[in-house]
Amino acid sequence: MPTDDLTPPEAARWAARAGLPLAEDRHARVAATARHIHSVVSVLRELDFGDVPPAAAYSAHSDHFAEEPRHDAS
Amino acid sequence: MTPADLTLAAAAAAIRDRRLSPVELVESVLDRITRVEPGLGAYATVTADRARASARAAEEEIAAGHHRGPLHGVPMGLKDLIDVAGTATSAGSRVRDGHRAGTDSTVAARLSEAGAVLVGKTHTHEFAYGLITPQTRNARNPDRVAGGSSGGSAVAVAAGTATFALGTDTGGSIRVPAALNGVVGLKPTYGLVPRHGVTALSWSLDHVGPITRTVEDAALVLPALAGYDPRDPASVRSGPPDHRPAPEPDLTGLRVGVPHTYYFDHVDPEVEAAVRRAVDRLSDLGARLTEVGVPLARYIQATQWGLMVPEATAYHARTLRDTPDRYAEDVRVLLEAGELMPAGDHLRAQRARTLMRREWARLLTEVDVIAAPAVPLTAVPAGRESVTWPDGTVEAVSDAYVRLSAPADITGFPALTLPVGHDHAGLPIGMQLLGRPFEEATLLRTGHAYERTAPAVRPREHAPRDTVPGTGGGDAGIPAGA
Repeated sequence: MPTDDLTPPEAARWAARAGLPLAEDRHARVAATARHIHSVVSVLRELDFGDVPPAAAYSAHSDHFAEEPRHDAS
Repeated sequence: MTPADLTLAAAAAAIRDRRLSPVELVESVLDRITRVEPGLGAYATVTADRARASARAAEEEIAAGHHRGPLHGVPMGLKDLIDVAGTATSAGSRVRDGHRAGTDSTVAARLSEAGAVLVGKTHTHEFAYGLITPQTRNARNPDRVAGGSSGGSAVAVAAGTATFALGTDTGGSIRVPAALNGVVGLKPTYGLVPRHGVTALSWSLDHVGPITRTVEDAALVLPALAGYDPRDPASVRSGPPDHRPAPEPDLTGLRVGVPHTYYFDHVDPEVEAAVRRAVDRLSDLGARLTEVGVPLARYIQATQWGLMVPEATAYHARTLRDTPDRYAEDVRVLLEAGELMPAGDHLRAQRARTLMRREWARLLTEVDVIAAPAVPLTAVPAGRESVTWPDGTVEAVSDAYVRLSAPADITGFPALTLPVGHDHAGLPIGMQLLGRPFEEATLLRTGHAYERTAPAVRPREHAPRDTVPGTGGGDAGIPAGA
């Protein structure tokens, strides 16, 4: 989805799809900021990553959970 | 000079030798706060009663022969993202109105155990998502920005209203305000200092570290902070960093890389000149200088934003929906727009980070330290939002301040900034030293050798008023988080 021409109504629709309803007076500002962020981040599309994995911080071997409270997602 | 002006090393030695009481030191700092804080705005909360009680307890304990170490009885400020049981962590935001931390963060608990005395919580740019800290004025010139997001911490240390402080660094938030206020800031290796109990901006980029008046002081604070904590999933098991000052400031054999790309591009000439003089000083001390190129420079900002923007939005997901009006506009719009970033962009940033970490690790087999400017320009007048470089390029001030800090946040490698001079207006200039993971000792040794050959940095209550040429008005760009 190209965002370089992201319009305020499109920004509002995308935000709503992400679960964030925006008041109408937010649409233009959010669209402008999203366009700018996109213009910065989209440069990464030039890179050929091949098999390079993401640098995620995850370890199955972990003692991090023992002292954390149980999460109640209900 | 009053006790409030002492470096941490000098204050610690005086306390240890019973030439100075923690009560005298804390009273001196509280007196300084009374006089200068109204004009600076470094503190969100001053905990004077608590500080006096802690100082008396430290005095009694030391008199009884139990001296805990160099932080015992020393007044400190903690950035207002760092939980201290019973106090508010307001994070510079109305979103946190009524907040009260139930328990200490790991770093607050460790500093308390080391005997440090909390003087107060220092201002942050709202939720650390910005480079200005608008509540706070620059310690050297009140018309200039403090920098951020740990602006309160840097200003307090520079003004003598804390002997040391803690900040957090996601895109430069320790190093930027430290450089702009003429003090030292250390961003440790990712995972060295636990972040449990510290409000996140971006989990994969956040670091906690000290802001001090000297490199030697930073070396005294770091061991109290470092060490494994299972409650921070990024925390690593690593021995405490051990930096003991060498008898002589000798850097013989040290390989110092001086970037010929990126770090000196779009840099104010006075900043460049001061940093190059400082690099020459390292050479005089025995270091061997080598030109180096900066890997993947074109992708640094994209990677930083691709990581930080969606992570920050995720952290604030609930409150952005429940109480959006409580955020300042600059932060709110970034959080909202972050919802629109596709997952693919975030993953590309994570993969670019893998590449960057590899390439920087390779680079740091060729040299031991990289020396560069900390920020490309000194503190701008409050309200200025962009800078115009001689080639006509317009850059947001916040982007400029983040630009030279981001690589160490993305890679997680340690970075230190220390003062190396002033511009014509008397505004401080910082040099940044970057090194291999968990080799903070090398950075501290290098920075300490430099500072031993330079005049000591002292707090200044009064600063010159002047302007910086070469910066333009306008409002191009968007605030970048730090």
